Amino acid sequence: MQVKVNEKSVEIFSGARVKDVVRKYSRTAWKQVRGKKYSVFDRYGHEVALDGELSGGEGLFVRSVEPEKRQR
Amino acid sequence: MNKAARFVLSVFLLLPALLFCRGCSSGASMSPAPGETRLVIFHSNDVHGKIDNFAKVAAILKRERESGADVFYFCAGDNFTGNPIVDRFNPPGEPMLQLLNRLGLDLLAVGNHEFDYGLAVLENFAARARFPLLAANIQAPPGAFPQLRPSVVLEASGGIKIAVFGLIQIEKASGLPSTLPERVKGLTFSEPLQAALEMKTMRPGNHVLIALTHIGYDQDRLLAERMPELDVIIGGHSHTRVDPAEIVNGVLIAQTGSDNRFLGRVELRMRDGRVIEKKGRLIDLRGKLKEDPEVKAMIDRFNRNPALTRVLATAPFDITGKEELGCLMTDAWRRELGLDIAFQNNGGIRLNRLDKKITLKDVYALDPFDNQVVEITMTAAEIRGLVRESFERGDDIDLQVSGITYTVRTDKDQSVKEVLLRGAGGKALPEDRTFTVGFSSFIPSAYRFEHKDPGRSLGISTADVLIHFLERHPDLSVYRDIRRAFVETEGQS
Repeated sequence: MQVKVNEKSVEIFSGARVKDVVRKYSRTAWKQVRGKKYSVFDRYGHEVALDGELSGGEGLFVRSVEPEKRQR
Repeated sequence: MNKAARFVLSVFLLLPALLFCRGCSSGASMSPAPGETRLVIFHSNDVHGKIDNFAKVAAILKRERESGADVFYFCAGDNFTGNPIVDRFNPPGEPMLQLLNRLGLDLLAVGNHEFDYGLAVLENFAARARFPLLAANIQAPPGAFPQLRPSVVLEASGGIKIAVFGLIQIEKASGLPSTLPERVKGLTFSEPLQAALEMKTMRPGNHVLIALTHIGYDQDRLLAERMPELDVIIGGHSHTRVDPAEIVNGVLIAQTGSDNRFLGRVELRMRDGRVIEKKGRLIDLRGKLKEDPEVKAMIDRFNRNPALTRVLATAPFDITGKEELGCLMTDAWRRELGLDIAFQNNGGIRLNRLDKKITLKDVYALDPFDNQVVEITMTAAEIRGLVRESFERGDDIDLQVSGITYTVRTDKDQSVKEVLLRGAGGKALPEDRTFTVGFSSFIPSAYRFEHKDPGRSLGISTADVLIHFLERHPDLSVYRDIRRAFVETEGQS
């Protein structure tokens, strides 16, 4: 399935969780998330847990602080 | 009526609605005026066996119930998998059942992880639950799973009727929830949003219409866009922390994240049988909050469960070394799940020794990351690419394997020249067929290798598969001085 991370498409196995797709997106981003310097948000600005389950077509953002809420 | 008069009347009629909307998702509390009713719905989702904060939840529910409001408590699915205390109880999930009964849960939407212990265990859970299980898009054969309902109607004071229906996610490819297919054998699943639209018929005759879903936040928003007849969606699955609850197309959407870190609180103000104001927020359970002493005592008792020290299997000797432990883990995944080949990376093997009496605690120490087993269909060339990538990460053997052996040939500078794969009887792996290859989910997300099939999570953790394998008392005498991965360096014998 395809999931977007910071607007970049990432191909990942179906049933992947947030941590899987962030790890595949970027080793650097994953280290920042694991070190709690960054968090992961959905496209509406809500924080998602690293074990959150994903479906194809979802969009995630890895950021240092909670961004302003986005509208689709 | 002329245009100017119509405009004045419109503003006059819209003004109260606009004023109410300003408070729709604010944090301010709502006080009911005379003739109004206040409904409070607490909610959890994706608790995944994290029971420790339930004593705080119980205290919050008790305080609200004593305030005179109509109070309900809903759960949007996925109570199981994530805490060995709950998952390894006998019967599995029992602590969740006893605690949710004690808390007075009103409704549970079935999530994909409700099936983690198998359908028989879930049916037993449902038979002893003091709350119905909801899913409008699951059809059970006649006589099976009698506690499962598409919807229910709850009654609040003043004759207010609250219609609630449940939804569970399904994967597009399989048409099944994210779990092992054999766990849902006999059940039929339909597309959740389509099933929801059929629930529109519940709107007339009921004062409040709620979807209690386990389909993820993106799908919840889509549902709100397609079904403005809903008052509220209380969701789960994506582990999204929605705080405050959002209004989409007039529908309030709430979700608490995961692991019982937050409790959701949705409040509806009713007048003349209609919802006139709605809002939702999360209560942070991580800090110091009052606890219900009786529920705390239950939790403490569950946490003292000696199940973790139960011996699963006894080996004739301590199993030591990454190779031996890696071979044991990958053999377990391959044999239990019927795969051709399985790989585990050395970094995912967190012990160097397993005592010969292997307990549950040992397995969770060996494999603590809650990684899932992922299956990818691969060619021999793709497998060689993976082995090459793994070797080049540290110029050494990094992957332990079951189902094949492999040799990495390098030059004197450790540059990989060739990877040889051998199957049964030491024969070269055929190039003209594909193989089902199992991995810890860490490998396909962290290693960069070509594979045409993106793969799929099998919906079971690597540790759980090893536990099932050990419970069958396999021959563990083979895990001494075992080698399946080799390096041949040019110029060295």
